Amino acid sequence: MEEELKELVKQAESDILVCASYNDLLNIKAKYLGKKSVLNSLYAKMRDLPSEERPAFGNLINATRKNIEDLLEKQNKAIKEDAWKKSENRTAIDLTMPGIFSSRGGLHPLTIIRREIDEVFLGLGFEIAEGPDIDDDFHNFDALNTPPDHPSRNLADTFYLEGGGLLRTHTSTVQVRVMEKYPPPIKIISPGCCYRNDKPDPSHSPVFHQVEALVVDKDISLSDMKDMLSQFASIMFGKNVSSRIRPHFFPFTEPSAEMDISCVVCGGTGCRVCKYSGWIEMGGAGMVDPNVFDILGIDSEIYTGYAFGLGIERIAMLKYNIPDLRILYENDLRMLRQFKGELR
Amino acid sequence: MKISISWLAKYLEIKENTKELEELLTFSGIEVEAVQNIPALPETVFSAQVISAEPVPKTDHLKLCLVDIGNYPYPEKTPEGYLQVICGAPNCKTGMMAVIALPGSTLADITIKKAKIKGIESNGMLCSEKELGISDNHSGIIELEPDTPIGRSVNELYELPDTVFELEITPNRPDLLGYIGIARDLSAKLGRPLKLPEIDIPVAKCRAETMPLELINKVPELCPRYIARLFDKVKVKESPLWLKSALIKSGLRPINNLVDITNYVMLEYGHPLHCFDYEKLASLPDKPGIPAIVIRQAYKDEPITTLDGKNYILEGEEMVIADGIKPSAIAGIMGGNISAISENTKRIVLESAAFDPRSIRRTSYKLKISSDSSYRFERHLSECSAPDASLRASQFICELADAELCEVVYDNYPVPEKSLILGVRPSRYAKVIGYELEEEKIKDYLQRLGLKFLRYGIWKPGKITNISEIRELDSETLKQKNTALQNQEKAHYYLIPPKRVDLEREIDIIEEIARLDGYDKAPVKTKPQHIMDRHSYRIKKVAVDYLVSRGFYETLNYSFSEPELMRKLGYQESDYELDMIFLKNPQSSNQSAMRTSLIPQLLQNLAYNLNRDEKNIKLFELGKTYHRQETISYEPYYLAAILTGLNKDEHWQDKASPINVFWVKGIVEELLSLLHLENWTVQEAKKPYLSQSESAAYYLDNKELAYYGKLTAPVAENFDIDLIELKQDIWIVQFSMENLIVATHNLEIQYQEIPRLPSVIRDISFLISEEIPYSKIVKTIAEVDDKMITDIIAFDEYRGKQIPNGKRSLTLRLKIRDKEKTLTDERVDYLVDSVIKKLENTWKITMR
Ligand SMILES: [Zn+2]
Repeated sequence: MEEELKELVKQAESDILVCASYNDLLNIKAKYLGKKSVLNSLYAKMRDLPSEERPAFGNLINATRKNIEDLLEKQNKAIKEDAWKKSENRTAIDLTMPGIFSSRGGLHPLTIIRREIDEVFLGLGFEIAEGPDIDDDFHNFDALNTPPDHPSRNLADTFYLEGGGLLRTHTSTVQVRVMEKYPPPIKIISPGCCYRNDKPDPSHSPVFHQVEALVVDKDISLSDMKDMLSQFASIMFGKNVSSRIRPHFFPFTEPSAEMDISCVVCGGTGCRVCKYSGWIEMGGAGMVDPNVFDILGIDSEIYTGYAFGLGIERIAMLKYNIPDLRILYENDLRMLRQFKGELR
Repeated sequence: MKISISWLAKYLEIKENTKELEELLTFSGIEVEAVQNIPALPETVFSAQVISAEPVPKTDHLKLCLVDIGNYPYPEKTPEGYLQVICGAPNCKTGMMAVIALPGSTLADITIKKAKIKGIESNGMLCSEKELGISDNHSGIIELEPDTPIGRSVNELYELPDTVFELEITPNRPDLLGYIGIARDLSAKLGRPLKLPEIDIPVAKCRAETMPLELINKVPELCPRYIARLFDKVKVKESPLWLKSALIKSGLRPINNLVDITNYVMLEYGHPLHCFDYEKLASLPDKPGIPAIVIRQAYKDEPITTLDGKNYILEGEEMVIADGIKPSAIAGIMGGNISAISENTKRIVLESAAFDPRSIRRTSYKLKISSDSSYRFERHLSECSAPDASLRASQFICELADAELCEVVYDNYPVPEKSLILGVRPSRYAKVIGYELEEEKIKDYLQRLGLKFLRYGIWKPGKITNISEIRELDSETLKQKNTALQNQEKAHYYLIPPKRVDLEREIDIIEEIARLDGYDKAPVKTKPQHIMDRHSYRIKKVAVDYLVSRGFYETLNYSFSEPELMRKLGYQESDYELDMIFLKNPQSSNQSAMRTSLIPQLLQNLAYNLNRDEKNIKLFELGKTYHRQETISYEPYYLAAILTGLNKDEHWQDKASPINVFWVKGIVEELLSLLHLENWTVQEAKKPYLSQSESAAYYLDNKELAYYGKLTAPVAENFDIDLIELKQDIWIVQFSMENLIVATHNLEIQYQEIPRLPSVIRDISFLISEEIPYSKIVKTIAEVDDKMITDIIAFDEYRGKQIPNGKRSLTLRLKIRDKEKTLTDERVDYLVDSVIKKLENTWKITMR
């Protein structure tokens, strides 16, 4: 009996090894293990055996069955592997050929910078306020404590419009409009286009972009302003970048200051960008002049505030090492493409 | 934890209604998770006696009962004066006191009616707890105490109506795990006196020598206190209804008087108790004849079978309450079955102990046993609450189990807990919470919580072991003009009640004060401002980012330019000069007016880049235009784009093709769809610079949302672009941002249930006359069934060979779905046939 079963396994093995598909294997499986198979008929025979012989006989059949099942499984694996290998080698692939891109475009570098500034300030709890480019003397000058005879009101600096109005020379106009409309506390930035009658040159443009920040509340001090400036500088330019303020004059702030950040190129040791000073001028700042509050009907005894302004072009030029402001307004695709991905 | 208001009212006068009480609890930090109202029942539901209960023939469980309802008038009493009722409950038996609901009574879910069951008349119903709405128990009818008088209203029996709150007790407040704790917190909040139960212990009648006990605590660090009281002549029986009713409402099952008493006291004081059968406690080998209680850790592989019949093999770390030989209980978690109270129990040991919370938690987690007891002990119960709970239970055991208290009380308490002294600075409260609170109020709140005021003195940081360390500031000292003293921080010092294991630092006390005064008292310093127009900011960003994703580069141009450019764009001077704003002092003539359109500068940008050998150009600008309106100016935002050349980068495999009208149209319609704008209409664009035939404008509510079109050759010429030489079309797209912002203002994106059933796809191909536009075909199909046909996709369009002149071949793909049921082939076929028939009738199509 044992010999016969060994022969059966041998026969099954030769049948299995020539199988090339899963279907063939199923047929062979039916032949050797199915209901009508020799092996199956042996189970019936077992009943006729004396009970003491049954276990040994049963073990023998089961072992044979297991043998054949293993062979089937082994061949099944081999067939699958073969099929996978064939599909792999079906066509020659040159992986060095270019992949498919989505042909994405890109934002203007000034927009990239403006968005970053928006993000930084939104994260610091500011809101963004916008206002008109075309404004009037009151919002651009009077409300900002700039008397009519102030040199900055000179026709040469400001674009005036036929039929009245002017092009705002700073986005402080938006601050005035917000203070007119909303009672404190106020915590806004106002980004936008500004205009000054400057001839275009590497660092000037009649049209430019600014972000101004205004914070008005009880207990706002110069120290809060320094805090905010240093936070902005380190978030925007890197954690090692520090900021400082030095006394200056603006009609609408008192005390007024110029703010500098430590040179992002040399780190403060001095280089061409910082003109070997170690510091780069970022913009004006100061505590809102009580006169401004008085004009706008805000109680300057209760409320204090600070404001500062940043030039977006200047930051972009600094960050991207752009040598000439005019490049930003040429809209040359070869320039625009360099900023794809909106990284900064 | 479930608490019933009628029970809570035993400890505190409650004047509030359910809603107010819920609010009160929630805002003192005890969240009400669910409220269950148990309504009052009609007067026709009352106690009655079952005089007889005979099985109904040919039924397996029904019984025919005669019920004595006393004098209650009911027209259809039997001649003997009883009520005939059919009852199916297994526990219904002759003589029992039950609750009857007469016909016409409306219970929680049902109204009882006179009925005929198996041909026998039934006048009313004997009720289960579930039917009365007081619990979920439906295993049998209510069995009242035998001495309950007939005719007693259930409202009286069960203290109805009542309300049950399910409370979430935060893990830091184990003191709230009982009614008294909750009442104490509410009393502090409301400033109403707390009524503690008056414990009245009977005289100990049982002599010590008649009930000796060997109590050994081998693990005082895990079991800091163990109180045992012994009782003789205990009668184990059913609890009285008031006790059962109280437990039921709090979600516990009454078992017998002893178990019910320990549960009741646990709910009352928050401190779990356990009863052992004294006679089942084995003695220690060296102390024969004296039952023993040994508090120890389990031996490795020591077995125990718990009350619920489950077997555990202990590993050795678990704390057990053992007798002289084997564990009798898993300490603080569950009792064992050998020493459990049974009907025959005569003498008992009442345990009231304190256990190390970490040990309880570890064991409970390891053995996966969670009980009301482990729940409380793992939250750290104070050693000082054990005596009260033991006394209270003793009182009940004597009263309700007719027991005799043994004169010896075992109180194993090797290291008595030290009460903590904490200081709290009113100035610190103001600093942390944000407002100043009167010192008297602070004192009042804390005293109501059970903190004992010790003295007012100079603030001393760090641990205070004795109050004498603090220099007292009496009114005399304060009157002195001692500036050094004035400048020092002052504090109140309190003795912390041991129950409040959560009060360990000054800040914990500050929290208590703030909680009781109400978090709403802390002022909000800054009102939220809404200066920013977030909606318009977002819409602009979505639009710009979309164009970037489609391959466009952003340009920025000056806000002023040359008026002449508008003429070059094809406008008459009279068209544009009216609202154009001119500069008084321009730098040059080509910067002399504010722009009224973004298109001319984009054309200049295009020409600039074409001159630099760029062929495939996609540019856009998001910017303002400027218009004179009466005396003020109007500065609307536009998003304009210009494009020419290939639709994408060239690629060896994924071929690029020249931009055509459908690509451009797609830009407009995709952005509108991203903004979820539908129902727009399409009109002629009517722009002087766009081709009439290949342009269109999109309107919603008569406002132009967008347009697209092909630039005409003459206008291109005006901007120095020779279209013939260029050999490619130039396309323009513009979105009116202001109108898009308004149109999307009330947009709400709402999640729609994802369809559960699969959809079926069917393609139909047909010939149709060139004059019939696709839009009309789609409309016709939608008219057949716009619910089942969820999508219509233009799959293919073909003209040429085999297609007759004046016709085109269209293949449409229909997605068909039924929300309710799986589609059968027949239904789909029928639907598609209807579509084809309708198209044949309406547009004379021929199927291919
Ligand atoms: Zn430098």
